[in-house]
Amino acid sequence: MNPRKVLQVAIREFLSTAATKAFLISVLIVPLVALVMILVLPRIINAKPPAVEGQVLVYDPSGRLVATLSEELSPEAFVERNERLRRQIREAVGGSVPGPLLEQAERQGALDQVLGQVPRLEVAELPGPEELERARQALRDRERSRVLAVVRIDDNAVEPAEDGTFGAYALYLREGVDDRITEQLERAIERAIVDARVALRGLDADELRVLMRVRGERTVTVTDKGERESNEAIKAILPMAFFMLLWIPVITGGQYLMTTTIEEKSSRVVEVLLSAVSPLELMTGKILGQMAVGLLLLAVYGGLGVGALSAFALLGLLDLGLLVYLAIFFVITYFVIASLMGAIGAAVSELREAQALLGPVMIVLMIPLMLWFWIMREPDSTFAVATSFIPPVNTFVMMLRLTSSAPPPAWQVWLSILVGVGAMFASLWAAAKIFRIGLLLHGKPPTFRTLIAWIRMA
Amino acid sequence: MDSAIRLRGVRKTFGEKVALEGLDIEIPRGATWGLIGPNGAGKTTAIRIVMAILFPDTGEVEVLGHRSALAAKDRIGYLPEERGVYRKLRVRSFLRHIGLLKGMPRRGLDETIDRWLARVELGDVGRRRLEELSKGMQQKVQFIATVQHEPDLLILDEPFSGLDPVNMRLLRELIDEQRARGATVLFSTHVMQQAEELCEHVVMIDEGHKVLDDSVAGIRRRFDLRTILYEPMHDDPDPARLSSLPMVQRVTRRNGTWELHLADGGEPAAVMRALVDIAPPARLEVHRPSLEDVFIEIVGRRRGEAEQARLRRELGGDAPALADGGAA
Repeated sequence: MNPRKVLQVAIREFLSTAATKAFLISVLIVPLVALVMILVLPRIINAKPPAVEGQVLVYDPSGRLVATLSEELSPEAFVERNERLRRQIREAVGGSVPGPLLEQAERQGALDQVLGQVPRLEVAELPGPEELERARQALRDRERSRVLAVVRIDDNAVEPAEDGTFGAYALYLREGVDDRITEQLERAIERAIVDARVALRGLDADELRVLMRVRGERTVTVTDKGERESNEAIKAILPMAFFMLLWIPVITGGQYLMTTTIEEKSSRVVEVLLSAVSPLELMTGKILGQMAVGLLLLAVYGGLGVGALSAFALLGLLDLGLLVYLAIFFVITYFVIASLMGAIGAAVSELREAQALLGPVMIVLMIPLMLWFWIMREPDSTFAVATSFIPPVNTFVMMLRLTSSAPPPAWQVWLSILVGVGAMFASLWAAAKIFRIGLLLHGKPPTFRTLIAWIRMA
Repeated sequence: MDSAIRLRGVRKTFGEKVALEGLDIEIPRGATWGLIGPNGAGKTTAIRIVMAILFPDTGEVEVLGHRSALAAKDRIGYLPEERGVYRKLRVRSFLRHIGLLKGMPRRGLDETIDRWLARVELGDVGRRRLEELSKGMQQKVQFIATVQHEPDLLILDEPFSGLDPVNMRLLRELIDEQRARGATVLFSTHVMQQAEELCEHVVMIDEGHKVLDDSVAGIRRRFDLRTILYEPMHDDPDPARLSSLPMVQRVTRRNGTWELHLADGGEPAAVMRALVDIAPPARLEVHRPSLEDVFIEIVGRRRGEAEQARLRRELGGDAPALADGGAA
């Protein structure tokens, strides 16, 4: 093997893939979407109901609810609820949202009130059941009527019937009312009913609420290396992120390798190449070139992830050793998958024919996705341990386990790497045989059995 | 060490089909050889084996003194029958890529490429993509890719097929330049006339077997001298007198010319002297059959008359000769 020629093939392969507009666009799209998400995030956190105006008509036989409802549905109450929601989110994500974003959201709350960006609902009582029917009719007339919602409270909603059962309420809405408004309305009605029931028993509703709330839970994972604060959100995202960082560049690199091989074969440039390099040099160069493409993707996406974590001041949650494992597992998985896909590219004459052979490879690549749920639920189950040593899914399983809450012992990781390296050399060896025979054959696409026969040929 | 290519007892099968059987070829350095035969005879397989793109089932290969062309790839220029380019690549990048793969030094490579592009009158296309070029222009780029690294051995598989007349002449000039430089040239063709015009020596393959391996002059000597063309200056002589000449096997007449076919061992000079005595000739010559005639005769002996007629059609019609092409 002539390293200079292999390198030249690899450079050509890398440039012909990565130095194209299509590639740059497809690579940039993911970070762009991420950026948009970050910009949109405050608005998602600030999930406040839209500004609407209108009447809420209440038919309440008990006569105890209207005052509470008016209070609950006042603009001030809306603003306060938004604030509370934000506080809860901030506690839940454990400060993983950058401070400036939250401050901005808080300023937005105050501003909303001034600008009238909160619902202005006017609560009125309906004197009797006849008006109830008329009010319901008014909901149909969206043009002239200001009625947004009509509430009918059951007779025994506040005071139980003689058999002790409580009644319910019915909420009639105009068409097109935002479901966040609906939710707030429902909550306000329920609270008004509960408050009235509590008051009837001579208790203080606010005091009860204080009594029922427990706050400030803190989850800490205790390991032999010490204690670290658990962050549920990040814990759920981390395996997914690493899995995708492994999966996407491998698939992308493999796909490109197959496509360029088919192109070289169908444009007949391959014979010119084979007059200058051996099939093995060609294959090695191409695989290395596309690996560089995969690594570029890995660096862009991984870098984005690390950048995001450090922006949120959460880099401490990421064990940097994981990045090393990611790189090792990427190389192994990439070589296994890419040599299979390169061999397929060499065996067929056009992309269409490749689909039939590609099916099994794609199924193999889907297996880790299907295993995901089981592995994540029990990262140290027998099943998870067993699949850690079965190529080519072993690398994916290991990556999931390494990022899970129960990382595997080191010997398992290294055994899995060893198995992976074995699989890597086996698939490269097989692919080289198919490559050599397939490149110059045109005509009927081979079946899997033919490919096996090629591999077994000397 | 003196041969550029040496094949010994090469056999190659594809499944059931025997593509080559017991092929022996030895091409001296600096020579220009033709590998001829009808389509499907095994020419491309033989060339791919020389190039170490395919490997023989049995037999030995030696190229430029190495056991395999792999060791000498950088000194070989190869123009495959199926010629491809990277369609999206720019002309200069393509030539750079192939040049670097052929071991050309980076330094001076661009200048060499520019010089070649100018040589084939494509001086202004270096920055254009190959897919933007016409087919004829792409062919020129392919020639450059084959010869830019000044190979010691040039292997051309059906180099003239699909070329327009201008490019045919250009390629012929390029081949002549390479020969003048001292390169060994091996090319395959199924158009015998091209081989006749270019080669010193031909190897004929038919159905995987070598059926002829001789210099063009030698072939003429061996196969030529058995038909005499004769046109009398005045009145036609009595055909019976012509038939009765010693060693004349058969006499036919075509377009006013008598053809006297001699028996094996017949001495043309004696027959020609006798003809002059019968009636003074306006034309008297030994017919020089073309390579095509020779090939058809050989193959006919192997395969029978019907196949001979089919071959005559196949070899005769579909490709122009180089000299005619150049004049178009």
